[in-house]
Amino acid sequence: MSKMLTVTPGRCIGCRTCEVACAFRHANAGVPGRSRVQVRTVAKDVWVPILCLQCDEAACVKACPVFALWRNPITGAIDVKSNRCVRCNACVPACPFGNMAVESPARAVVKCDVCEGDPACAQFCPTRALEYLEV
Amino acid sequence: MLNLDINGRRVTVRKGTTLLVAIREAGFEVPTLCHHEALEPYGACRLCVVEVREPGRKKTRVVTACNFPAKTGLAVETESEAVIETRREVMDLLLARCPGSPVIRQLAASVGLNRSSYPPDQNRDNCILCGLCVRVCDKLGYSAITQAGRGATREVVAPMREPPPDCVGCGACARICPTNNIPLVDRDSMRRVWDRDFEMVRCVGCGRAYITREYQESRVAASGLPASHFERCDECSRSLTAQTMYQHMVLRDKEASHE
Repeated sequence: MSKMLTVTPGRCIGCRTCEVACAFRHANAGVPGRSRVQVRTVAKDVWVPILCLQCDEAACVKACPVFALWRNPITGAIDVKSNRCVRCNACVPACPFGNMAVESPARAVVKCDVCEGDPACAQFCPTRALEYLEV
Repeated sequence: MLNLDINGRRVTVRKGTTLLVAIREAGFEVPTLCHHEALEPYGACRLCVVEVREPGRKKTRVVTACNFPAKTGLAVETESEAVIETRREVMDLLLARCPGSPVIRQLAASVGLNRSSYPPDQNRDNCILCGLCVRVCDKLGYSAITQAGRGATREVVAPMREPPPDCVGCGACARICPTNNIPLVDRDSMRRVWDRDFEMVRCVGCGRAYITREYQESRVAASGLPASHFERCDECSRSLTAQTMYQHMVLRDKEASHE
């Protein structure tokens, strides 16, 4: 049984709690990380949370020249081996959904890893616009 | 499989593993500056020194863990007196070479060195000749920069000290440099690195210059992805994704109201 992080944009109220939850879950030495989820305003009172879709044939994996991106067999998500990342940034523009980001100060690329099977964004989303569901 | 002792603990590793990997897998820390998991071991920074006793021998010796293959029966010490002394000496030399580098100063302070016992080198930049920039450039397939000279005059340069023709301006060398010694400047849709100027491609969405044309072309060719993947900056890709999802929502609602 595998789980998937799902987005239901119609339920999003633009509160950006997911962004805060994500940044704090990925904090390093007390400094909040870069949020792997970003809420976009697309029309008046309409928001869409954007995060990694964990593509089956992922462009980021194809773009990586050193195999630093791999699919975690437990969570099903594509994870970054940050010690393998050579900071070439090839995956950042390669992702057609814009979900690869560079985080200071290490400058390695970061992405949604579904918090190793316990996504903070889904946990804190008050309207279930983000859910971690059995599929 | 190979069985060896690390700090008195018996560990089992696969054949072909280096000592450094075995040590870190066993949960011990060894400082490094020139090591990178995606690149071949290089043994330049000499910080990963450990003491080993080979099977059947009485004498121990100090070796660099990053390029020493694990062997069955090997006894490894990562914090012995000889190791601490050697590491301190290496750190002392690095600190004399780059007295101005915050990374080196911090690392030196961690072994109890606040100032070098050698006269500090005032006329040098913060390059420690770890070779990460040269190796990452090779790994990405460009080989635009190299090391030249011997001994005290060794340095990382572009061929003939001219703007490197094979450089694509990706910036991996500048980002991987442990001492931030490679200047990379982005200004007005131009990027300057290794004294070469690159024109940067503007994002089709927002017009921000975000990648050099040379790097864009080479990544399209190397990844086999359609060129359209490299036309937008990540910011605009997210906006496009959000808009597309929104349009699907509107469409679905319209269909629902027609039923």
